[in-house]
Amino acid sequence: MNRLLLTAFALALGALSLAASDPFSKTADDVNTRTVKLFGSGGFRGVANYGTGVIVSPDGHILTLASQMLDTSELIVHLYDGRRLKATVVATEPELDVALLKVKIEGKKPDEPTGLDLPFFDVPAAAKRPLSTPGDWVLAHANEFEIAMRDEPVSVQRGVIASYSKLSGRKGIFDFGFTGNVYVVDAITNNPGAGGGALTDRQGRLLGLVGRELRNSLTETWINYAVPIGASVEFRDGDKVTAVSIPEFVASAMAGKYKTRPRTVATAGPGGYHGIVFVPNVLERTPPYVEECEPNSPAAKAGLRPNDLVSFVDGEPVVSIKAFTDVLRKARPGATVRLEVRRGDVLQAVEIKLEDAPKPAVAPKK
Amino acid sequence: MNIARTLFALVAAVALVSPSRAQEDVNDASEKAMKAAMARVAPFVAKIETSGGQEVVGAAPGAGGPQAGVRKGVGPTTGLVVAPDGYVISSSFNFANKPTDIFVSVPGKPRLVAKVVATDQTRMLTLLKVDVKGLAVPVAVPKSEIRVGQWSLALGRALDTDLKDVPALSVSVGIVSATGRIYGKAIQSDAKVSPVNYGGPLAAIDGRVYGVLVPASPRGETETAGVEWYDSGIGFAIPLEDVYAVLPKLLAGQNLKRGLMGITAKVQEDPYNAPALIGAVSRASAAEKAGIFAGDTVVAIDGKPVANFSQVQHALGPKYSGDVLAVKVLRDGKEVEFKGVTLTEAVTSFAAPFLGILPLRDDPDPGVEVRYVYPKGPADAAGIKPGDRLMKLAPEGTPAAQAAPIAGRESLTAMVNSLAAGTEVKFTVKRKEGGKTETLSVKLGTPSDDIATALPLPSSAGRALEAPRAEKPKGKVPVAAKPADDEKPAAKDDKKKDEPETGLLQRSNPTLGREYWVYVPDNYTKDVAHGVIVWLHRARPVAKEGDDLARIFGRFCADHHFILVGPKSRNAEGWVPSETEEVVGDLRAVIAEYTVDKRRVVAHGMGVGGQMAFYLGFNARDLIRGVAVTGSVLGTQPKEPVPGQPLTFFIVGGEQDPLVKEIAEAKPRLTEKKYPVVYRQLKEFGKEYLLDTTLEELKAWLDSLDKI
Repeated sequence: MNRLLLTAFALALGALSLAASDPFSKTADDVNTRTVKLFGSGGFRGVANYGTGVIVSPDGHILTLASQMLDTSELIVHLYDGRRLKATVVATEPELDVALLKVKIEGKKPDEPTGLDLPFFDVPAAAKRPLSTPGDWVLAHANEFEIAMRDEPVSVQRGVIASYSKLSGRKGIFDFGFTGNVYVVDAITNNPGAGGGALTDRQGRLLGLVGRELRNSLTETWINYAVPIGASVEFRDGDKVTAVSIPEFVASAMAGKYKTRPRTVATAGPGGYHGIVFVPNVLERTPPYVEECEPNSPAAKAGLRPNDLVSFVDGEPVVSIKAFTDVLRKARPGATVRLEVRRGDVLQAVEIKLEDAPKPAVAPKK
Repeated sequence: MNIARTLFALVAAVALVSPSRAQEDVNDASEKAMKAAMARVAPFVAKIETSGGQEVVGAAPGAGGPQAGVRKGVGPTTGLVVAPDGYVISSSFNFANKPTDIFVSVPGKPRLVAKVVATDQTRMLTLLKVDVKGLAVPVAVPKSEIRVGQWSLALGRALDTDLKDVPALSVSVGIVSATGRIYGKAIQSDAKVSPVNYGGPLAAIDGRVYGVLVPASPRGETETAGVEWYDSGIGFAIPLEDVYAVLPKLLAGQNLKRGLMGITAKVQEDPYNAPALIGAVSRASAAEKAGIFAGDTVVAIDGKPVANFSQVQHALGPKYSGDVLAVKVLRDGKEVEFKGVTLTEAVTSFAAPFLGILPLRDDPDPGVEVRYVYPKGPADAAGIKPGDRLMKLAPEGTPAAQAAPIAGRESLTAMVNSLAAGTEVKFTVKRKEGGKTETLSVKLGTPSDDIATALPLPSSAGRALEAPRAEKPKGKVPVAAKPADDEKPAAKDDKKKDEPETGLLQRSNPTLGREYWVYVPDNYTKDVAHGVIVWLHRARPVAKEGDDLARIFGRFCADHHFILVGPKSRNAEGWVPSETEEVVGDLRAVIAEYTVDKRRVVAHGMGVGGQMAFYLGFNARDLIRGVAVTGSVLGTQPKEPVPGQPLTFFIVGGEQDPLVKEIAEAKPRLTEKKYPVVYRQLKEFGKEYLLDTTLEELKAWLDSLDKI
């Protein structure tokens, strides 16, 4: 009887300790060795002069956000073990909102090996792993609020991936440049100085870089997001479209080949001609009700009618005439846009093939 | 073999929590469980898109202060399927910006045009309908099974992915933090609840649904109340079980409103330790129709004992108009039960009855001496004159012998307030002229918004006013019946020792972090009850503001016995609703230190400060009797009048002020609720403080707050 009791307890205890084993602390220690604290310019008007970065090569390459903190000749890096080093910016890619830095060793030229052998994240490998999906436990590692200095570990926060969706960020009144997919986290991670920190899974594998403090214009809330390590953006150069991803940027910049391009100004052309005349735009968000279609215009040919409410353009909701105009401005003559219009109580799909704007005499009304 | 069985159970239980494979730890297990729960709930979570509407919701024009408003995002929001035939419930917040069109996409179905079927205004839920059939509906977790600490997942569709292989849902993970919140209406969770998931489900780890996520606050009942707590770890959901219970009514297109009983608590020192004593019963209310009286003590509602008024509020909080209760009260030491108390939607507003006099204050003798008679008012028509003393009162038809003696000002006020306007009453009056006692008939009327300027002084009985004043008061000859010489106070020096400080005083309460100033006139004496003017500064505290106000009101404060209090907002942007309690705390500290006339406590401010004054007036009903504002917009819906807690308004707008139209709207909105309102619109006047004429009127208004 006694033996039975003991065995049972041993069984129970063994199982319990197994169940309670918690890999977070090991992960946190491991990621901390691959994370750096950055100190640069700023420190006034609410702009933090500190941030976080992740080491992406044993030689001391650091990936971080393309923030104004880097606009200094005196960029300082604190490694996990307390070493304090200088660093320079190798390249930045504002469209991806990332920058690559390299540690600078006194007496050595920038392209010479530093002789360091640092623990690092393998960016190409990280980018190849499958996406994390909503409900995955994640950890954010960053020097938020400048709590950590020298050999103090960065702060670790736990949360889950809330969603993987397009970023619709706003900084003050300005729309944020990066509009690709991001990881949204359900922990309050995007604090001052956290930008450039590591978002990892429970095993410490790099998922992305903690982003900035932005408001989400879809919900008008502060958004806690990370730029996925595999993120890429497209550039339009005339009629040619090229793309660059974070791994490509890192590889090219490490090879000294990446040309930091000037921020492309959104091509706000007149857009293709549709020929819809909306009701007068007098409200904060005037719903895009069709008042009339200009004769022989693409809208008239597609059968759009007065009182139709244009509700979606290529699947995206347009809450107002302004939103419609903003979307259409990016479309070119010859392109086909798919509208969903509310006619009575049903949604009707209408395809419009945009044309060149007619002669000024019959220019579309604004 | 009990032990063996226990052991077996123990081992089995442990085996359940710890999977057999060594590498699967508790986090893997929880991750799997979360994703399984999400997958089970996902088919019920609808995406809502809108067109048109406002940018900012819940704002008063001239933003700032307690009603600055909330920006409404342009993105999609969330709903939860609750009935198979295309019925989707959502948070009313998602439609607070009054969009012109609503579209709903239920998983697996095309996007459809939606119609609003009904709203639940107590829980801020909106029921939508789209033309689709055969939908699956979620299973509600019964409230009896919901425990603090249980896993909870907040799901939303605002941040949907456009990838096929990623679930089209956002999730935030937490636990149930509390049940029975917001007067018993909501479950609380520490999952991140925000416009990202308002309207979506708070799901249990087993795939059932606890409730519908909403912004909520115990301090407000609007669609936007509680949004300021988004993502804070304090989130709310309306139990799905409760939603299902009222769903038949909502499906029938019935808008649900709060059920009111029409009782008001008797103001007591420590309301949490005092039984639920009824101070007043509203006319034509559920309580009056049931036969419940002021003076009854509520001891149980629907068989559940209630120990104080707070518990009464919690018992009534979840109730709807039309709900029927059983209310047990203690009357004259006996328990009486009233069954079938049917709650009503609104307590009908009645104008306060008006006798048309100002009473003399601080008079310990029986009866009430008339300080002033309003020209053409009911008392004037009946021939009552200043200096007369009202001794007894009897409603028409009551024998003179049964006339009730009038103890003093408070007792007369309560007696008159218990009657309806238009009632005939008989007063036993001791005439000043001739000293004879007569009986006069008065037909009670309603107060006019005429302000009697140049009210006679003194306002208090002579015996309370000790030392002769430095200056003779202006205005008419004093009407004090008794010469002040009769009862000269003892040595002035003795008095000084136990009198509180006077002048402009800076006060602070380090424990509460409060700072405020108080101005007490130099002729203050504790034998005279003083009115209190709470000055609410504009967006930011102004240095030396106390000096300015003391200069404007100093003489008035001395003549008419008022104290000024200037609380400071702790918010850099100006007043926020949550500061109400702190301001009330400052006010209570002053009331505790000085002798205060509770009928003359006023919230006063201009611009944003005036908005706070409105807010304070409606939310500190047991203290505030008047609200005086200049250049301020009434941002919130006025609350119902409460018997025994009168509230009157003095509003000034300048014609040069771009907000003058919005300011002027306050008058009809308040008058509709039967509040007495004085509105003055000044030409050539923008956002400055008051002009002299209006200031004189304001002073007269302040001095007549205790009119009967």
